[in-house]
Amino acid sequence: MTATPATTAATRPRSEATPARTEASRPRKRPRSRTRFAPYMFVGPAVVLFVLFMLLPIIYAAYISFTTYKLESGGIFGTQVQVFAGFKNYIAVFQDQALLTGFGNLALYSIIAVPLTLGLALLFALLLDTPGVRATRFAQTAIFIPYAVPGVIAALLWGFMYLPSTSPFSYITEALGWGTIPFLEQSGIYGSIGNIAIWGGVGFNMIIIYTSLRSIPAEIYEAASLDGANEAQIAWRIKVPLVVPALILTGIFSVIGALQLYSEPTTLKPMTDVISQTWVPLMTIYRNAFLTDDLPGAAALSVVLALGTVALSALVLWLSGRRNKGAQS
Amino acid sequence: MKKSKIATAVATLALSAIVLSGCSAGGSDGAVTLDFWSWAPNTQELVDVWNEENPDIQVRYTDAGGGKDSSAKLLTASRAGNAPDIAAVEYPTLPSLIVADVPLEITDYVSDVTANYADGTLALTTFDGHVMGLPQDVGPMALIYRSDLLAEWGIPVPTTWDEFRTAAAAVREANPDAYIASLPADQWAFYAGVATQAGAEWWSVEDGTWTVGIADEASLEVADFFEGLVADDLISTEPILTPEWNAKANRGEYISWPSALWAPGVIEGVAPETIGNWSMSPFPQWTAGDTGVANQGGSSVIVTKDSEHPEQAAEFVKWLNASDAGAELLINVQNAYPATTAGQESAINNAPPSLMPDQADYYSLAATIASNTIPVTWGPNVNVAESAFTDELQRAIANGTPWRDAFIAVQKTVVDDMTDVGFDITNK
Repeated sequence: MTATPATTAATRPRSEATPARTEASRPRKRPRSRTRFAPYMFVGPAVVLFVLFMLLPIIYAAYISFTTYKLESGGIFGTQVQVFAGFKNYIAVFQDQALLTGFGNLALYSIIAVPLTLGLALLFALLLDTPGVRATRFAQTAIFIPYAVPGVIAALLWGFMYLPSTSPFSYITEALGWGTIPFLEQSGIYGSIGNIAIWGGVGFNMIIIYTSLRSIPAEIYEAASLDGANEAQIAWRIKVPLVVPALILTGIFSVIGALQLYSEPTTLKPMTDVISQTWVPLMTIYRNAFLTDDLPGAAALSVVLALGTVALSALVLWLSGRRNKGAQS
Repeated sequence: MKKSKIATAVATLALSAIVLSGCSAGGSDGAVTLDFWSWAPNTQELVDVWNEENPDIQVRYTDAGGGKDSSAKLLTASRAGNAPDIAAVEYPTLPSLIVADVPLEITDYVSDVTANYADGTLALTTFDGHVMGLPQDVGPMALIYRSDLLAEWGIPVPTTWDEFRTAAAAVREANPDAYIASLPADQWAFYAGVATQAGAEWWSVEDGTWTVGIADEASLEVADFFEGLVADDLISTEPILTPEWNAKANRGEYISWPSALWAPGVIEGVAPETIGNWSMSPFPQWTAGDTGVANQGGSSVIVTKDSEHPEQAAEFVKWLNASDAGAELLINVQNAYPATTAGQESAINNAPPSLMPDQADYYSLAATIASNTIPVTWGPNVNVAESAFTDELQRAIANGTPWRDAFIAVQKTVVDDMTDVGFDITNK
């Protein structure tokens, strides 16, 4: 995460010694029985926890997604039993019009939230990294604190600031005779929810980028300023290209985070009539699982969403890998 | 290292032993412990009274969240084979739980108390002669309104929906910021109630074959009526009980809340500045002179199939819901309107709710309203209907499309879902 291979080589002349080191560090002979079991014991707990709490639930969800509830005779109205359903639930997922609308909402939200979160995080990180800036600790904490506020509480807090009767912003615009701001109406809802995510997400991403900035060797800045570069040029020509790996990482986090949008719209839902129960895909999953008793449908959609997220992350990584390769050659 | 591993293993074993024993905590010396899920306020106090009097049947109460959360949880627990012995269930949800095989039939256990209920009330938990639970409280629909403002503006209290429309227009004229009420798309139970009043039967079942009537003629006319109110800006469709709605209610910008007998307690909590300014009257009717109203809200208590002590569980359910002692506690401790006839009669002597201290006849009026409730059959997928209804109507309001199209879309969703699961339906 620190820097590209080129800089490592430049700043660490020791690298010439590397081939010799391989010879020297050939493993000594040890009692075999100890080396054979020790690694397994170290990874054991993690593997057990992973299998119990990740792998098995995933397999179970995948299993449920291939079942459905069917009525059998017996009881007053008949009784529902779980039966194998093949790909029925998956076909339903891809035919669901509301889900498509949900992804559309998600896309609109992401277009607002992801670039602004990353852009602001980069801007704040660069500003904090500028020499001579005071009170960096304080500024860093102040920008980071919203990240520590749980999403539901953040959404409630902002919800009160959006509702016309309690909004300080609408209070001002109304006093100026411009009427209230349509935070919770169709025109403003994407920006309003995006704003909550940006407010909460900038601090976390800023810390990652800032840490990455701090690990750039100072010699490079010295060389740049000797060559006559000013601070803005150093930031744009040197710092930004060197923190690209951190930007990619935060980018992936932000995209995955955007796909998992749930608590903000769910919390705001009772305050507005423009957020439906299927406003974003995760809300659809919740509705299917816990409101309309369609656990198999919810499982199928979860599987599709998880695979989609993995594919999207892989695509971003692959693209950035290609870009890095291109830059090197 | 080896030592610490052994220590860990011992600790783990000890922990699991504690957890396991916690699961099977039966009582000693013949006493049984029953788990009870509900969400009604102050239920613990009621349970404490029972536990004091019945050392052999101890009840352990869990607040399992509101009606919807609670039934989702109950369904999941039941499928996993560890449902509580006793659970509160909202009336509309009961059929879906029966289809999922959650409640135990208690006809034989409760035969001595069924006479304590009016027929229409017992019908809420009785299906084809099988008693699947006992009604606890009911919510006959009623209109609560700002008597001070209506008097000040000279607007008569509406007794029919046509008068409601006239009153709504008069309110808009008297104060352009005020509406007579907000009836948003998520108030499914309200719309189901007024459709029932109009003669609609959203579900009915005969010999195992269902008929779905969400888009029957009566329902579509109800849709047209309320669409007209919204189109002419006579009612609002803003979500209710939000900080926004509460602020407006406090300011006197919502003049009424067409809901049910539980409403005064809610308003008292969210609009404390208006206490003393409200009154309750019978619900508006589609035809002048009619008296029938639907129930909105209320819950029953079931014994689950997972219970190992159904007889004792039924004893508790009977005491809580069908006995005079239970009714007394329901009224005074839980502030609920009891389902039993005797409970409703004994409520007459109570002081009116503190929201409307001047309305001395509140509880006798309530008893009259309750005696005229219309029996309703709820379907096995009310949850699907409610979810579809809210989203479809919300979209219709947002896009200005006809409400009857939303009702028709809900009908289709409900019928498709029932067909898919395997129910016989007459009007596919």
